[in-house]
Amino acid sequence: MAKFAGSRIFVVEDETLVLFNLEDILTDLGCEVAGQAMRLDKAVELAKTVGEVDAAILDVNIGGTTVFPAAQILAERGVPLLFATGYGRDGLPDEWQGHAVIVKPYSPQDVERALGPLLDKQ
Amino acid sequence: MGEVDYARIFDVLPSPFMVVDKELRYIAANRAYLETTGRSFDEIAGQKVFELFPNPGESGDRLRASIDKVMATGQPDTLAYLAYPISRSSGGEVENRYWTAVHVPVLDADGSVKYVMQNTVDVTEFARIRAAATVPFTSLSAETRLIERTREVEAANADFRRLFQQAPAFFAILSGPTHVFTFASDSYLRLVGGRRLLGCSVGEAMPEVRDQGFIELLDRVFVEGYVHQAEGARLMLVRDEGKAPEETFLDFSYHPIRDPSGEITGVFVQGTDRTESVRAARRQRLLIDELNHRVNNTLATVQSIAAQTLRSTADTIKAREAFQARIQALSKAHSMLSDRSWHDTEIGRLVCQELSAYEGAQVRYAGPELVVNSKCTIALALLLHELATNAAKHGALSVPDGVVAVSWREDPEKNLVLEWSENGGPAVSAPSRRGFGSRLLDTVVTGELGGQLDVRYEPTGIFARLVIPPAAYIAQELALG
Repeated sequence: MAKFAGSRIFVVEDETLVLFNLEDILTDLGCEVAGQAMRLDKAVELAKTVGEVDAAILDVNIGGTTVFPAAQILAERGVPLLFATGYGRDGLPDEWQGHAVIVKPYSPQDVERALGPLLDKQ
Repeated sequence: MGEVDYARIFDVLPSPFMVVDKELRYIAANRAYLETTGRSFDEIAGQKVFELFPNPGESGDRLRASIDKVMATGQPDTLAYLAYPISRSSGGEVENRYWTAVHVPVLDADGSVKYVMQNTVDVTEFARIRAAATVPFTSLSAETRLIERTREVEAANADFRRLFQQAPAFFAILSGPTHVFTFASDSYLRLVGGRRLLGCSVGEAMPEVRDQGFIELLDRVFVEGYVHQAEGARLMLVRDEGKAPEETFLDFSYHPIRDPSGEITGVFVQGTDRTESVRAARRQRLLIDELNHRVNNTLATVQSIAAQTLRSTADTIKAREAFQARIQALSKAHSMLSDRSWHDTEIGRLVCQELSAYEGAQVRYAGPELVVNSKCTIALALLLHELATNAAKHGALSVPDGVVAVSWREDPEKNLVLEWSENGGPAVSAPSRRGFGSRLLDTVVTGELGGQLDVRYEPTGIFARLVIPPAAYIAQELALG
């Protein structure tokens, strides 16, 4: 089901196993993981330097801090954002409520459903 | 000027008077008394009071006790408030009336008590006002005259006041349009840090509340008679004199106090300090959110372990075993964290725990006592499990004489350096295909923990050195506000 064939996705996730799972899900959907970061410093750096991406999937809590500094850079670049969080939508501050959310743990179908509209906008 | 006719004056006094002797027989009664009781003097003269107006209840006992007290002590006595049903004529209908009775001794030439004179005032109307009053203090003005003339009411009022003074809820009475404190309970004083309140307006006594809308509310209550009730209202209040205002939560109400003519004279304030319970509820909310987050993250990890295991292991039975073993490793790490409130673990215990399934002689540990945070605990638990599983399948733990040595230390830069060294096992070589274990090791150490990984496939067995920077493993205080 190479549904999103060729789509380039930037991923921030601080847990190795969850990252593996997400990478596999994205690969199965035909996406290319255009960049991945597991810590905030790397996420901020890559948010600035990574080439054209079609969407970003961002774990909200990374290593005791939040992903929002990196999210800000990506949002300014016009990258559609999909937040992943164990807190659900309530865990997202007001200023980010306009963005898509998936709740951990998520299934491949959850990712597909949430990512679809973001890639359609392109 | 003729002699003063005391008997006549006695007879025309507007309130009821009567005189009894030591046996409580009527000696005299004035016209007002006779009108009130609906009897003629001939009907009652020489009769005993309690035979004529029997009252076996509490009121009768109090009346009798008061008269006895005056007889015994020679001192006047007052009953402020007495429910005493009487019939308005002999054989007539009995009616509940309320009385204030004053008993005064009449002394003989020797100074001993000869008679007791009783003056009663019918306060039934006052009693009805009192019964109708809901806010306790509002009835006071209607009873002012009674309070002034009776010690008992003063005593009762003192009890009443003490009750309010010491009540766990807070009370205050504000008088006049500028809301001047005329009463504040102990708990109210505690709420505002023991500041001087009586005689001060709210704005003077508590300047910090001026811009928080409360004075405007009090104005509305005083001017419009509006009743204000609030639950969990937030305000910034100085709780200790000289210190900065603190966030405070109150349940409170403002009620107008009216005089008998209905004019508003002040505001009755009552409430309870809810700050502690609001804080506790917030903390609980935070803990529940945190728990929820952790459970969801753990489920995400378990889900990933399942997906990864099924992908990398074609054989269903082997996949099931591998999955169970990985979940077991995760579960052990969770138990250790749970023992320390999910804060941290001691690395020696973690290593020992994750390798506990293997022969003691084949596993060696060495290292100082070092604590690692919860995130690092989970990461290391999974790594140690993968390394040990690999050793049991292909490395030092697959033969009886093989040995795994695990050591850890803190280097001068405070990095955690953990070494895994296998000896005596079959000869190993770098795998041709990168398996789940090595992908996990690499991603956890270099990606998740931001450290360095050195893996060597020596002829004697696998050697791995993990260098983990302090930011990734040193425990930080849980951020709970």
